Amino acid sequence: MRGLPAAVLAALAVLALVFVRGLNDYWIHVAIIAMFYGILTSSWSLLAGYAGLFSLGHMAFASIGAYTSALLIQWYHIPIPLGMVAGIALCCLLGAWIGWVCLRMSGPYLAIFTLAFSEIVRITFSTEDEVTAGMAGLHTVTLFSTQASRLPFFYLAFALLAGSLALIGLIVHSRWGLFLRAIREDEQAAAASGVAVARFRILAFAVASGFAALAGTFYAHYIGILTPSLGSLDLMAVVVVMTVIGGMERIPTAVGGAFAVEFLQEYLRAYGEWRLVIFGLILLLTMRFARNGLITPLWLQLVRFGEPRRVSAGAPTAPREAGQEGSGG
Amino acid sequence: MNGPAGPDATRTLVSGAALRRHFGGITATDGVDFSVVEGDLIGLIGPNGSGKTTLINMLTGHLNPDAGDVLVRGRRMTGRPPHEFASLGVARTFQLTQLFGRMTVLENMLVPGLTRPRSNRESAARQARHYLTFLNLIHLEGLDAKNLSGGQQKLLELGRALMLEPSVLFLDEPFAGVHPKLRDELIRRIEELHASGRTFVVVDHDMESILRVARRLVVMARGRKIADGPPAAVRADQTVLAAYSGL
Repeated sequence: MRGLPAAVLAALAVLALVFVRGLNDYWIHVAIIAMFYGILTSSWSLLAGYAGLFSLGHMAFASIGAYTSALLIQWYHIPIPLGMVAGIALCCLLGAWIGWVCLRMSGPYLAIFTLAFSEIVRITFSTEDEVTAGMAGLHTVTLFSTQASRLPFFYLAFALLAGSLALIGLIVHSRWGLFLRAIREDEQAAAASGVAVARFRILAFAVASGFAALAGTFYAHYIGILTPSLGSLDLMAVVVVMTVIGGMERIPTAVGGAFAVEFLQEYLRAYGEWRLVIFGLILLLTMRFARNGLITPLWLQLVRFGEPRRVSAGAPTAPREAGQEGSGG
Repeated sequence: MNGPAGPDATRTLVSGAALRRHFGGITATDGVDFSVVEGDLIGLIGPNGSGKTTLINMLTGHLNPDAGDVLVRGRRMTGRPPHEFASLGVARTFQLTQLFGRMTVLENMLVPGLTRPRSNRESAARQARHYLTFLNLIHLEGLDAKNLSGGQQKLLELGRALMLEPSVLFLDEPFAGVHPKLRDELIRRIEELHASGRTFVVVDHDMESILRVARRLVVMARGRKIADGPPAAVRADQTVLAAYSGL
């Protein structure tokens, strides 16, 4: 990603940083939660959109990371950043292990396996209430005081999202990104082309799970209370809906989906449960008419608009609809 | 006429010894010996279900034999994953073309190019464009692979295999479903590549095309190798004629 799309994203980021001071606490909170989802959707996009590994265990890793950090801090009084790093490291290892166990699975089998894993994690956290406080909620230490302003959380969430996008962007634009897409398209052909399929599948799971844990640990030390519902299938469905509505095969569109759905969800709060019906309808229409997501056409338009015009040199070089080398993110 | 005519062990690129593979109750290959010597252009033929694809799947790491051994340049590779075969210069195409459909023609070429040690995007792209020009696909480099015609897809799959700079290429039914004009082009390209030092194993039903390119013919029937030698001699073999006419 370079040129105009990068400039537009940078401008949006600057605008957000400038105008956040004019927002009230409620909308700052909505923006923070949107960025929390932004980390989740971008990393899930890496796994499901790029590598084609449709895992439903993403929120389970967010939950494991969150509980690991919160409990280590509670038991050993370690600094919060260290707890967060421990949660992320554990989820990278656990993600790699799940990736290894699922090596021969894809499509619905992988989805069902990770769904079962997710439910096992949620029920374990729920049942072991002597350790996790179960559904009563585990009180966590917050990163900053919540009494004054939420702005420090906003800036931190912003930095974490920006850092995550930079890292995930580096991955998808590198040869690793190309290999992951090749694996998504045809594992056998990727292997015949020299791609170490098993290694890259495991790597995709490990990296995505690490980012899920980053989001989960931030959430734990922002909200101040942690329940097993962080790893529920409801929240997993929200991440899937956001990513699919935005466009799961590109990182910016997946993040755009998180922001669009989160802000719309709050904006439509007056409609109560009906807003969920509206989102259901949007999802149906997306799957029927815009499988690449609703934001993807706008993003591609922006990418095309920013491309230098080519001088025709005889044979036509067909314009590429999607994922031109290096434009995947 | 069984057994290759004394392959030079030092020049043997890929070999399979007593390869046996069952699928359920069916024996796909039954103790097949097969070796590919540097500079070979082997035509591997046989009726449907004779075990040709199973054999090359085992020789390229895509299938583990139930018994027997696979060696690449003398190194035992039985049970190793396909990407390790690719890194040793064993490339292949598939019976039903398997491209990265939603990736561009150039990206399809870059994938194997970038798996090579010390490769970078610039040199891989340069090499890819060289082969795309050779295969007359350069004007399509920005197009998604799924949008190519059947023949162009076969050519791209060959190009993708060439990006590994392989010492031996296994082509599984490269002429199937290809327009005669493109088939001629494919044959020309294979001959040119062979003349430049590449080694080929070509599997196909299209006897006419195989006989146009092959310098050595291997015939399989019912999971066994029934003939191996110069095309003229194999064609005259009564066992081959019987197997090929379904007797």
